[in-house]
Amino acid sequence: MNIVHEWLSELVDVPADTDTVAREISLRGFEVAAVEGGVIDFEITANRPDCLSHLGIAREASAIWRKSLKRTSAELPHGDAVPVTIEDPQLCPRYAATVFDVRVGPSPEWLARRLEAAGVRSINNIVDITNYVMLELGQPMHAFDLQRLQGGRLVIRRARPGERLRTLDGLDRALDPEMLVIADADCPVAIGGVMGGHDSEIGSSTTTMVLESAYFQPASIRRTSRRLNLKTEASTRFERGGDIEAPLAGLGRAAQLIEQVGAGKARSTIDVYPVRREPLRLTLRAPRIARVLGVRVPAEDVDRILTALEFTATREGESWTVVVPTFRPDVLREVDLIEEVGRHYGFDRLPTTFPVLAQAQREPDARIERDRGIRQLLTAAGFFESMTFAFIEREAATPFCEPGSSPAAIANPLSEKFAVLRPSLLPGLVDSCAHNRRRGLKDVRLFEIGSRFTASGEGRATGLVWAGAGDSAHWSAGSRTVDFFDVKGAVELLCSAFEVPGPEFAPAEIAYLVGGRSATVTSEGRTVAVLGQLLPVIAEARGLPGAEDVYVAEIDTDALVAATQRELRAHPLPKYPSIVRDISILVDEALPAASVRGTIRSAAPELLQSIVEFDRYQGKGIPEGRTSLSLRLTFRSPERTLTDDEAEAAMDTIVAALEREHGAQRR
Amino acid sequence: MSDSSIDSLRTQFKTDLAAAVGEADLRVVRDRYLARKGGLLSGLLKSLGSSPAAERPRLGQLANQLKQDIETELEARLTAVTSTRRPKGSVDVTLPGRRPPVGHQHPLAILRERIEQIFTRMGFLVIEGPELEDDYHNFEALNMPAEHPARDMQDTLYLASPVRSSAGNPATLLRTHTSGMQIRYMEQHAPPVRLIAPGRVYRRDNLDLTHTPMFTQVEGLVVGEHVTLADLKGTLDIFVKELFGQDRRVRFRPSFFPYTEPSAEVDISCAACAGAGCSMCKRTGWIEILGSGMVHPAVFEAVGYDSEKYTGFAFGMGIERVALLKWGVEDIRLFYENDLRFLEQFPL
Repeated sequence: MNIVHEWLSELVDVPADTDTVAREISLRGFEVAAVEGGVIDFEITANRPDCLSHLGIAREASAIWRKSLKRTSAELPHGDAVPVTIEDPQLCPRYAATVFDVRVGPSPEWLARRLEAAGVRSINNIVDITNYVMLELGQPMHAFDLQRLQGGRLVIRRARPGERLRTLDGLDRALDPEMLVIADADCPVAIGGVMGGHDSEIGSSTTTMVLESAYFQPASIRRTSRRLNLKTEASTRFERGGDIEAPLAGLGRAAQLIEQVGAGKARSTIDVYPVRREPLRLTLRAPRIARVLGVRVPAEDVDRILTALEFTATREGESWTVVVPTFRPDVLREVDLIEEVGRHYGFDRLPTTFPVLAQAQREPDARIERDRGIRQLLTAAGFFESMTFAFIEREAATPFCEPGSSPAAIANPLSEKFAVLRPSLLPGLVDSCAHNRRRGLKDVRLFEIGSRFTASGEGRATGLVWAGAGDSAHWSAGSRTVDFFDVKGAVELLCSAFEVPGPEFAPAEIAYLVGGRSATVTSEGRTVAVLGQLLPVIAEARGLPGAEDVYVAEIDTDALVAATQRELRAHPLPKYPSIVRDISILVDEALPAASVRGTIRSAAPELLQSIVEFDRYQGKGIPEGRTSLSLRLTFRSPERTLTDDEAEAAMDTIVAALEREHGAQRR
Repeated sequence: MSDSSIDSLRTQFKTDLAAAVGEADLRVVRDRYLARKGGLLSGLLKSLGSSPAAERPRLGQLANQLKQDIETELEARLTAVTSTRRPKGSVDVTLPGRRPPVGHQHPLAILRERIEQIFTRMGFLVIEGPELEDDYHNFEALNMPAEHPARDMQDTLYLASPVRSSAGNPATLLRTHTSGMQIRYMEQHAPPVRLIAPGRVYRRDNLDLTHTPMFTQVEGLVVGEHVTLADLKGTLDIFVKELFGQDRRVRFRPSFFPYTEPSAEVDISCAACAGAGCSMCKRTGWIEILGSGMVHPAVFEAVGYDSEKYTGFAFGMGIERVALLKWGVEDIRLFYENDLRFLEQFPL
């Protein structure tokens, strides 16, 4: 809202320096967007429609500099020159209109210049005066050419089904019964409080004008404006709440100006106001002011502030009875009055204290600690933490949806790039990986902890992406490329850190991963992670070189939290030495290492402590279709020192079982 | 022997010594000058006999002095060289080490944790909640009924069809603030309340230097029997000074939010110009950092709190904006591009 310093000075005495005026008013809740050439652009918050006018800002100034408002008013001739019928007093509680004899022509220079200073283009004397009154008093008005109103009358009613109106902007608009219209005897001539009709517009040939000044129900105006996608100066004011007592004041000021510029003369005024509204009365208690603001504001200050803002405040002991002016639709309860007192008393004068802490805090959300743990582990494992948007392109999302489901769509997305909720953290991470690759950064390890939106709804996950080197480059040796076991190691690390019970890795067919290089991880029947090589065609589609392997993993973070709720008990250290035996066997190349381990476990006595694979070899010396697997077995008894014979006996049983179950040959 | 032959030998030695690099070079120089047989010095001393008798004592003394000097200087150089001799199997310690690969935390995560620490120290609980919300928790319970003009202040992204949120409710929109979580908390717990709710929020803002359609917010809520606007001032004063530095000044300016009354924006004095006014602070000397206010009684009534008995304050800030100011980041989009060269600038 552009406030012209000179115009403001006509309504109240304010300091001569525009910057001072802007700064002081801004400290009462009206942010300043710009100050230029004696004009201050205030950002008026949605609760203060009264300040979409010079008068509203003048009232604030009056409270700041303790000067009284200078108001002008004019008498209006009464009489029923135009019959007005309000058919829907809910949507239009008050409708006033004045009939003028007019001569439409250009505005005098002072008027045109002042409007231009406020940012409004001059059109003709009549339109300019309606705009002038709106900018000065905040009351929007609309002028009809009386000769163009069928039947010479106005009916305020809801639109009828199928009715249309060509509005001032030249657009033909379809109306519906939710919308309030101003109609003549036949059809709508204006959309009430939003925009007038094209056909009843005043022009150079107009000699008799009906000037409308009304009050419309805010919610109805807002609904209509939104449905028509039509926001006007009038609708903005009415939807936030006009002043039901302002219509006559607006007409009076317009009549005064029309006469002053020689544009015509008021003939008669009609004011239809079927149910008179009583102003709101509130009680304001001094102790409550202290309870909210934290300071006792002297009663004289409360009196002075409320009076300057044109509240009527009557003090009785520790409280006031306050009559709220009709131009303040935002003041509905005691606390709103306390805000008025606080604003003009000055927030800077309030003390700074610390709220009393009466009891110990509740336990924190376990998820926060969990996320912190994941973050520490993964950064320690060389991953950089990333953050990506939760909404992505549909085509980036689709490959990552569970079979048979599609991504959740956003009804009003900003663009196609943000069309759906991500079903997985991976598409965003792959894009970030591509961003780095395009800038010549080949070795990329990223992770993100965040929300994903699958068919079952919102959940939390951690995604990993790994491209380029699998280890860190060093001058002493070459570097190798990332492979499945790098990313599996990261997943294993998380599983063991969060004590996921017995995670099982199994080969899996995943739509976005390379077959034979992908796996799911399950624990107690629940899938806790998915990992593997990203399909090169997806990598390529996102801007990564298809020839370079990219590995990804996604862990269901919600599954990690439950697993850590155990009581910790420390184990004593072993008292007796262990015996270590290495074994190399030839088995079918398709036999999973997990099967071999399972067979050993079930065949071995309880003395077997651990099994570690330390080599897997295929090639020279190994028959086609077979592989050599080397394992290190550790035996230990908690009660005594084991003998070599015991270890040998155990090994014999194990080897026999491996031969029997898998046709394994010992090498 | 003559004065000039002594001087020229001294000069020659100096040149040879300077040219010698390692231990081996120095030993060659030593043999050249000091060897009993064929050394340049013994040659010089032998020629003493051919000098005039009257000159001999003086020249002899000079030649001995030269010998001593040569011995001393050679000894010093040899000691210096042998003391830095690398033992067998030694390594070049100036070559780069084999560093365990370490990643970096995201700057927004670092800042969020820092903020959580400050508030935790002041007795606040940290809570998290769903990012998808229903209209009630995002708007209605916060004194923003349907058709409320303030809904325009936060352009909302809606879901095409309801999705189950992590709180289990059918959600229709992406939360525009974390306030919904505060409502949920108050629905489940009686006062006193002292919490912060950090998390990602969504608004229909186009990407530019200072806006992203998703950003990270931290909101706070304190409810009790004697909580005042002065308490809000005191709490945020501590927070801002801890985060930005004790020399910063804090200013509270009236504003409007539907869920607080009175409402205040919080400004900090501009660091770039120390409050004098510059382009960074739009020549005002102040930079807006937080929105805040006293909880509107209608919000308490929505969650079943006695709005006469309890008062409270609430505040909220965008972490990205704080990060831009604190670290001088010029483009907010950098936080979501995940360029390693950006991420590695922040501490491990």
